[in-house]
Amino acid sequence: MNRQSRALLTIVIVAIILIPYAYCARGRDEAPPSALAPPPTEQPTRGGTLIATARSEPRSFNRVASRDFPTELFATLTQGRLVRVNRQTQEIEPWLAEKWTTSDDGRSFTLTLRDGVVWSDGIPFTSADVLFTFQAVYDEAVGSHYTSTFRVAGKPLTVTAPDARTVVITYPAPFAPGIRQLDNLTLLPKHKLEAALTAGTLAKAWTAATPPAELVSIGPFMLTRYEPGQRLVYERNPRYWRRDAQGQQLPYLDQIVIEIIPEQDTEMVRLQAGQVDFGQQQLRATDIAGMRTLAAQGKLQLLDLGVSTDPDSFFFNLRAKQWANDPRGAWLPRKEFRQAISHAVDREAFAETVFLGEAVPIHGPVTPGNTRWFWPNIPRYEYSVEKARALLEGLGLKNRDQDEWLEDDNGTEARFTLQTFRGSSILERSAAVLRDDLQKIGIAVDVVALEANTVISRMLEGQFEAVWMAFQGDLDPALNKDYWLSSGTAHVWNLNQQTPATDWERQIDELMTQQASVADESERKRIFNDVQRIFSEHLPILHFATPRLYLAVTPRVVNLQLAQSRPQLLWSPDTLAIRGGGRPAS
Amino acid sequence: MSIGRYLLRRALVALLLVFVVSSGTLLLTRLAPGDSATDAGLASDPAQRARLRGELGLDRPLGAQYLDWLAGALRFDLGWSVVFSRPVADLLSERALNTAVLASVALVGATAVGVPLGLYTGAHASGFGPGLVRTLSVVILSVPPLLGSLFFMLFAARTGWLPVGGMTSSVLADSGWMTWAIDLARHIPLPALALALPLAATLEQLQSQAIRESLREPFVRAAQARGLTFSQALRHHAWRVSLAPVLGLYGLMIGSLFSGSFAVEVVTGWPGLGRLMFDALRARDLYLVTGCAAAGACFIALGTLTADVMLVAADPRRRMGDLR
Repeated sequence: MNRQSRALLTIVIVAIILIPYAYCARGRDEAPPSALAPPPTEQPTRGGTLIATARSEPRSFNRVASRDFPTELFATLTQGRLVRVNRQTQEIEPWLAEKWTTSDDGRSFTLTLRDGVVWSDGIPFTSADVLFTFQAVYDEAVGSHYTSTFRVAGKPLTVTAPDARTVVITYPAPFAPGIRQLDNLTLLPKHKLEAALTAGTLAKAWTAATPPAELVSIGPFMLTRYEPGQRLVYERNPRYWRRDAQGQQLPYLDQIVIEIIPEQDTEMVRLQAGQVDFGQQQLRATDIAGMRTLAAQGKLQLLDLGVSTDPDSFFFNLRAKQWANDPRGAWLPRKEFRQAISHAVDREAFAETVFLGEAVPIHGPVTPGNTRWFWPNIPRYEYSVEKARALLEGLGLKNRDQDEWLEDDNGTEARFTLQTFRGSSILERSAAVLRDDLQKIGIAVDVVALEANTVISRMLEGQFEAVWMAFQGDLDPALNKDYWLSSGTAHVWNLNQQTPATDWERQIDELMTQQASVADESERKRIFNDVQRIFSEHLPILHFATPRLYLAVTPRVVNLQLAQSRPQLLWSPDTLAIRGGGRPAS
Repeated sequence: MSIGRYLLRRALVALLLVFVVSSGTLLLTRLAPGDSATDAGLASDPAQRARLRGELGLDRPLGAQYLDWLAGALRFDLGWSVVFSRPVADLLSERALNTAVLASVALVGATAVGVPLGLYTGAHASGFGPGLVRTLSVVILSVPPLLGSLFFMLFAARTGWLPVGGMTSSVLADSGWMTWAIDLARHIPLPALALALPLAATLEQLQSQAIRESLREPFVRAAQARGLTFSQALRHHAWRVSLAPVLGLYGLMIGSLFSGSFAVEVVTGWPGLGRLMFDALRARDLYLVTGCAAAGACFIALGTLTADVMLVAADPRRRMGDLR
């Protein structure tokens, strides 16, 4: 899945926490957590400039039209949403909607908008903006990425506005995550974009070439300067609505600068020189030791974000037509072949070699980092070369010509081609370790490192035997249906199936549909454990280890609230502060 | 051949070069697996991807798309960048200016250092000084630009003498032009050194070799026999002749410098043409890749032309008609 959907991922985890709570509170006013900023870890100083980095530039400032990370970051800093999922606590928080009630059937939510909120140009924020946003989401001419996200059971949500401060959102079918989903929806200013929607040009509105003065904000900051290729400068929004517990208006910072630094080595050097405060990407395994030294010297803060929830995925092409005329079709797509591979890889050694020890072994797609959905009892494939060889022998693969590779009855060698991303040291190392491990059991792996775009393109077209790649998914399986359902666009081993190609995929489809509509969290978890069990037996994707994530931050940044998904530190920009104000060295 | 006819002929050759390079780039980029819509990849369904490809014209036959682009290019409309949501022509002019600033400084620096050192080492076959210069040249030439850039970045970070990357500081963006210019001047040395040092080393080696050969020319020896000192013969006779091979390479140097350097611009965060090309290639931004390639071809053509003119000026034995 697209990395830009990480915000969506985060939202989802929280959903589970809320569901029982939401059900207990049906039909009455709920008492959601306060939107006041939590007590700071250190009394923040008002003022100062924080300098963070981004790898690339925004393609657009229109979040409805674009989902790339810089655009998402722009939205996080300057725009608003109805509710927010706290990335740290995973709880849902009132945001531009200050409270809500849920109907008895759990499908309808009545949200009350916060009073007195205005856009940065002074125009009041009302329910008309919310209606307008949903209108844009479902407008075919816009072609928004949100459209499929905000369809449940193939139908759009019904949104009405009885008055200027009330919005009623009704789901067409039971949907377990409920309004947690709204965390991902950036609201649009109707007064600025209505003409574009009417003219059918909303998708091209607020492009990266739009002068910052034309962009209005409802978030803590306003974009005031965009220097292409260099930086984006955000200044405090004086009309921002949120206050801290002492009644002080947020944000604490005067300014956030996002420096565009395309290269991670450069980012590291600038971080160590104190010229930027932090980056947007976790540290590489090779950088962690050096950063520990600097942290011990008090020059940087090294933040442990926990275990990654997005493990790299190694999978075979399981489309039937791929193997129809291939002599290897008799054994390569079989589950026993993948099980043998799973047995043949020593996960502890893999974590040590590939991630330099900064990783934990895993046995499925849901990692211990996803505390809500991780199932510690998922069936495991212990490291055993003997078991691997036995499984391969059961497939008729034996060493028949006394070389180092196995062959089938027809003399076809046990060999496959593995494509991975060129330039990704982790993936390239992973492929090399796998090649060495499989050599021990007589399977030859031809590793081909290609440009990421090429690998994805070939994967989408089904032109691959095996791929090892990185992609992100939502934490809540109900919001990750493209991955789990056989019809999904991220069902990478066999994309977009009209009907489930196998019985086990049909079972997963049924279970996933069921668990997305069940309200009871423990029941959802039980069903999802079943899904993981089936997945583990058939291993359409193999996982061996997932890294621990670290970020390095200059010591002057305080009041940090850590999150695992990007933007790990800027998800709550209004409460970040600089010790003593000021700015880093130029 | 008159200068006018010569320049016209070179301009036509330059146009042909730009046409061939840009057309070839567009066709190859279009034929390679993946496109801008692939970037949406797993995050979008096939219908969304198809719609995006339609918007970008990627679903049209290659020939039709190429002809459209060509028709646009003749009107100086180089298409629309998907990555930056802006016209390609605007991006190219903006970034070319940034690269030109950096390239000019690097070129002047490399020439000012490399050519005199080449004269020095070429004129002195042995000795500690020439030996040291030659050794340094070899060392610098053997360091890839990427490593050189990183070295200077680390140097700047450790010493704090220079800003670590970027073209300007965010702090000073709202200040007056003088402050801006001073800030720019503080940012230039790091990438300019990374670019200039290998060029200076190349020029040194080339000039050194050329001067050694020209010193062996009969007319230089004859000049010395007529009573000119070694130094006078070197300056007035040998050096001019030795410029031919140096200027031959100079044209390519100008072209490649002004086209932008991937490694240096990406590592040092200089927002020039090289970085633009890098971003374009990474996102398979078809028209932007093509535009960058066309700009590169333009600079190569201009660079070689400049070098030819300089060669005529430097070597009185040559005339425009001698140049092919």
